[in-house]
Amino acid sequence: MPTHSALQLEVPKAANNGTPSFLADKSAKVFLAGHKGMLGSAIHRRLAALGFTNIVGRTRAELDLTCEPAVQKFFDAEQPRYVILAAGKVGGLHASSAAPADFMTENLRITLNVLTAARRCGTVRKLLFLATSAVYPVDAPQPIPESTLLTGPPAPGNEWYAIPKIVGIKMCQAYRAELGMDAIVATPNNLYGPRDPFPSESSHVIPALIRRFHDAKASGAPEVVVWGSGLQLREFTHADDAADAVVLLMETYSGPEHVNVGSGREVTVRELAETVREVVGYEGRVVWDTSRPDGVMRRLLDSSKMAALGWEPKVELRDGLKKLYEWYLHGRAPDFEA
Amino acid sequence: MGTVTAAGKSRPLPHPPQARSPVLGLPPTPSPPLADPHPSFLADKDAKVFVAGHRGLVGSAIVRRLLSLGFTSVVVRTHAELDLTRQADVEAFFAAERPRYVVLAAAKVGGIHANSTYPADFIAANLQIQTNVVDAALRCGSVRKLLFLGSSCIYPKFAPQPITEGSLLSGPLEPTNEWYAVAKIAGIKMCQAYRIQHGLDAVSAMPTNLYGPHDNFHPENSHVLPALIRRFHEAKATNAPEVVVWGSGSPLREFLHVDDLADGVIFLMDQYSGLEHVNVGSGSEVTIKELAELVKEVVGFQGNLVWDSSKPDGTPRKLMDSSKIQGMGWKPKIALKEGLVETYKWYVENVISNKK
Repeated sequence: MPTHSALQLEVPKAANNGTPSFLADKSAKVFLAGHKGMLGSAIHRRLAALGFTNIVGRTRAELDLTCEPAVQKFFDAEQPRYVILAAGKVGGLHASSAAPADFMTENLRITLNVLTAARRCGTVRKLLFLATSAVYPVDAPQPIPESTLLTGPPAPGNEWYAIPKIVGIKMCQAYRAELGMDAIVATPNNLYGPRDPFPSESSHVIPALIRRFHDAKASGAPEVVVWGSGLQLREFTHADDAADAVVLLMETYSGPEHVNVGSGREVTVRELAETVREVVGYEGRVVWDTSRPDGVMRRLLDSSKMAALGWEPKVELRDGLKKLYEWYLHGRAPDFEA
Repeated sequence: MGTVTAAGKSRPLPHPPQARSPVLGLPPTPSPPLADPHPSFLADKDAKVFVAGHRGLVGSAIVRRLLSLGFTSVVVRTHAELDLTRQADVEAFFAAERPRYVVLAAAKVGGIHANSTYPADFIAANLQIQTNVVDAALRCGSVRKLLFLGSSCIYPKFAPQPITEGSLLSGPLEPTNEWYAVAKIAGIKMCQAYRIQHGLDAVSAMPTNLYGPHDNFHPENSHVLPALIRRFHEAKATNAPEVVVWGSGSPLREFLHVDDLADGVIFLMDQYSGLEHVNVGSGSEVTIKELAELVKEVVGFQGNLVWDSSKPDGTPRKLMDSSKIQGMGWKPKIALKEGLVETYKWYVENVISNKK
């Protein structure tokens, strides 16, 4: 069974014009925007494990990506060769519905500022933008291929998060078409992993369930009520697998079309809740409040394009959840290294 | 031009949602409408109005209309005076000027050729302009209402005709202007987001194909109507025997004079505070053939109009559904022929004369 270190055995390919490929260029400066977030930190771990020696990250306090002059100054000073844009305002449907203007403006500004600054400083050889499966039409055919982008509206309430990501995809295409910038886009689906925030309401479903089952176990509550029927199907992808995909895309992909990154494994939300319950060790009842809305009934990406590049997701859901619960219990202290 | 009825009276706020009386299950009698504490736009003509993009086709028509209606404080800035793509400059401008109303008619525009050659410039500049203006309008705290102007190109390429507001994002865009369209769609969504989160009274208007004074008559990248005016004029001036127009002439198009659009914009500023964007069209279609014959007549070209049907036609039909704004009581007033006469006159006095 291939391990995450398999990529180190590949012979790095040189581009046609003699410039080194990403994996043959490990001392080049990589600006990893969003390096403290769930996906950003997974990418950081992966790059460090691969032997990259010059990864640059900035917290929000150090560099506000929504501030245009600050971003330009940073790029002019740092002159990165590679940019991975994993920074953004995230939070799930509840959060984006409550603060639509913040979600739109911050995420649009981050993308605009980074792309325009990258263009201006002139040193960026390759840029990867992280989009999301939320860009796809709410009634897209399943599994969802890349070609369904903009064939229908994103899920209502989710558009404040989705529209800036659609804009980001189009901006990367535009920058490639006009300027020849090697800007590519990865479109992951329902990521989970350490460093996803765990507030109980406005977070993603896996952290929300972990927290709620944990709290119920700790307080001895007889039951946990989960909204919806639980019959919705979801595809979850571990952040470490997504990080692998990002590195592979940086190494091998230079196309204008975005690329889906999904594990391909679906579970119902009931199955997920049952697995979380077992992993946490909660022994009470799970009750489904079917008066609450389900959201989209199915959202499975067609990731055959990514698979054709040689990507294989490796983290099984149960193992990923166990590790995540472990991190939740012990790892949220600032000095813990996953 | 037609007159705009001034709404001088205060507008009632909408009734609160009907609650069910717990005992009888009947809705309670609605309470009387509260008086609106703010005057409507047309009753507020001394208030400061910032028109962004005042030199373009749309912006200049809006400024003309505002001035003719008696607005006394219309603020404008050229690109050299205020670069709307620069966030800090826009914020400083809004903090200093504190306008009460904003009409966002500024954009980076161009034809098919420009859009496809400079897609990065188009998408980035338009996003920056929109994001900077809407956000600064909120932050300065003085803006009571903002109107954002889009374009009919936001709609799917194969949207059912006539095109209703609801068809937004329901299908793929026309590839030749998708960069501009995506930016404009983001602008509509920004206005909605700021209304929902902050209560900013931001509305979006989507005009159909416009024509009129200050249009672009450039030989290579102008739209069909100004291109026809230019070509028939040049043929008349050079005594050419004929003008050849590509295609069969059968595609249907809708045109709206930009002064009617300005009228519609001011109507919406005065009367509309909804979440959904609003189409502003004439509802009248002509074939390209009818248009060409009309332009020929207005220009006074005596030679032949010839159709090269070996060349492709564009989209077979493009008509906006403007029943929403017309249902509110607005309609355009300038018929196509009358509008063409006035536009040709402007063209001769301003474009041709300036070349001497």
